Amino acid sequence: MKVLLIEDDRALAEALTEALGDAGLLVESAGTGGEGDYLLRTERYDAVVLDLGLPDGDGTRWLAQWRDDGIDLPVLVLTARERWSDKAAGFSAGADDYVTKPFETAEVLFRLHALVRRSHGHAHPVLSAGALSYDTHTGSVTLAGRPVSLTAQESRLLAYLLHAMPRVVSRSELAEHVYDRDHEPDSNVIDVQISRLRRKLGGERIETRRGQGYRLVAPGDEPT
Amino acid sequence: MIPSRWSLARRLLLAAGVLVLVVLPLAGGGLAYTFRQTVTASFDERLDSMLRVLLASVERDPLSGRLAVAPSLGDARFERVFSGWYWQVGDGQGTTRVSRSLWDQRLPLGGASAGVTRHDITGPRGEPLRLIERRVRLAGYPRPLNVGLAVSRQPLDDEVARFEWLLWLSLLSLGVLLLGGLAAQIRWGLAPLRRLHADLGEVEAGREQRLGTRLPAELAELAGAMNEVLARDRRLIERGRAAAGNLAHALKTPISVLGTLAGRHPEPERLRVELTRLDEAVRHHLARASAAGGASLAGRVRVEEALAPVIDGLGRLAERRGIALDAELDDVLALHVDAQDLQEMVGNLLENALHWAQGRVTLRVSTEGGEACLDVEDDGPGMTPEQREAALARGARLDERRSGSGLGLAIVEDLMDLYGGRLTLETAALGGLAARIRLPLGGPA
Repeated sequence: MKVLLIEDDRALAEALTEALGDAGLLVESAGTGGEGDYLLRTERYDAVVLDLGLPDGDGTRWLAQWRDDGIDLPVLVLTARERWSDKAAGFSAGADDYVTKPFETAEVLFRLHALVRRSHGHAHPVLSAGALSYDTHTGSVTLAGRPVSLTAQESRLLAYLLHAMPRVVSRSELAEHVYDRDHEPDSNVIDVQISRLRRKLGGERIETRRGQGYRLVAPGDEPT
Repeated sequence: MIPSRWSLARRLLLAAGVLVLVVLPLAGGGLAYTFRQTVTASFDERLDSMLRVLLASVERDPLSGRLAVAPSLGDARFERVFSGWYWQVGDGQGTTRVSRSLWDQRLPLGGASAGVTRHDITGPRGEPLRLIERRVRLAGYPRPLNVGLAVSRQPLDDEVARFEWLLWLSLLSLGVLLLGGLAAQIRWGLAPLRRLHADLGEVEAGREQRLGTRLPAELAELAGAMNEVLARDRRLIERGRAAAGNLAHALKTPISVLGTLAGRHPEPERLRVELTRLDEAVRHHLARASAAGGASLAGRVRVEEALAPVIDGLGRLAERRGIALDAELDDVLALHVDAQDLQEMVGNLLENALHWAQGRVTLRVSTEGGEACLDVEDDGPGMTPEQREAALARGARLDERRSGSGLGLAIVEDLMDLYGGRLTLETAALGGLAARIRLPLGGPA
């Protein structure tokens, strides 16, 4: 999962980036609303974590602007203000959820996972494809009940494919959502990681659509 | 000493009473004295003229050379024995002429050495007499003569007594009327003060924000000044709340950073325990700062107005999640609750409902049996009786993750304590959870 963090407090931004990174998320951060706005319009993210107290204008103003422009990705608001009038203003601007400071990383993770899952139309926290299941909260992958050990990058790839299921996902979409913008891979790298995943999960679970991309299938499903 | 806590009415009545009790008797005494003087003077004048007539009738008999009085006073009362009207002429040597009325009695003359003297004596039958006496020399008579005339004082005393009786009666009625009038005046005059007092009571109880200023000029100024003090107090409280809030908010970001870094600390749990304490202290004092002001100075709040931003914000969220949020509000209902607290109650319940709902959430605000009813229902999975009990249990709450419905309900319950309301959880008609708040309409007891 690739997340844009817009937070002007440098210490908090660094700590949160590290902590979310430890949990397997790709985090890019912006210190101002303007910078965040630029990144949001040029890169692809799965979710935004937005602090409301930004040096260049209130977070709700930027958020309302994005919503007006049709940018619909899930936004988690970080705020120190606990009053309902402040929360309500955040929701009115188009926030999907909020976390009040001080918070714990687990809290932010939990909410981000829930938001991304919901934005893909999944209600249940455990995503599954046949015998394969992925717990969005813990990030653990099991195959027929047995845990599967994956690297962070593999885990992100699988999670993205699971979220997108049954849609076909192109290599460039994967590159944008699963990799850091400073380390955008060529398609070779993705192919290599997909084949590693196939080795761990079974080759028939990830289908290659020539010229289109990849698609996760549950064995026994009829390919369309 | 008059106690300093005596009421104004008592002080005014006391002052008026003292005035009435001192001034009226003084005035009465003065009037009675003057009247007695005047009446006595005119009585004496009549005696004077009678004495002059008597003097004119005293002569020396040219033949015998003895004293003779030819009474020509022309009043029969001098002839009737012991009538109270007497005269006497004597030379102090045994020769004495008296009126027939005096019979064998004599008047105590001889006090006057020269000129005229007047004094009161007791008559032969013990009656009070007014005596006028003069010492004269008669041409050709060897010794000076004492001429006296005495008349009963009874008519004079009767007249004075009658006058005094009337005087004291009128003064007494005047005093009673004055005191009664004063009492009424004080009551009427102090009525605006009582109104001011009642207004202050309303402000103290939090039902009003300011004092009414439709008062007499002097009190209107006082009320205006007090309103300014109240406004300044409110500003101070607001500033205090804002300062406490700012401090708390300023602490929150560093606490977040520390909490996030705790994962990398060799002993993360110890660090987390301290951070939790820090966080709880911040929240506790922030909540206290906002609650103290809210409860004591809150006025009435229109529910529809207070909840509008919350419903607007959560309506947008519901729309993004594809959930229908129906709000049915009583548009005139006003509650004795701080607007922020009301937003907190309904916001938390609605947010929980939106979290669990499949496709529909309803909010209904109504009144029933002296209580305001705020009902939030959803069509989500609902809760089992055990889960409901656990959600409302006090001890369970601190361990709960905010991700569920724990802390939101805890906040609502704290507010219920503050406002004397109650929160119940039931199964909703829609199939999910129904959270019901009941608040007394009259404000916190």
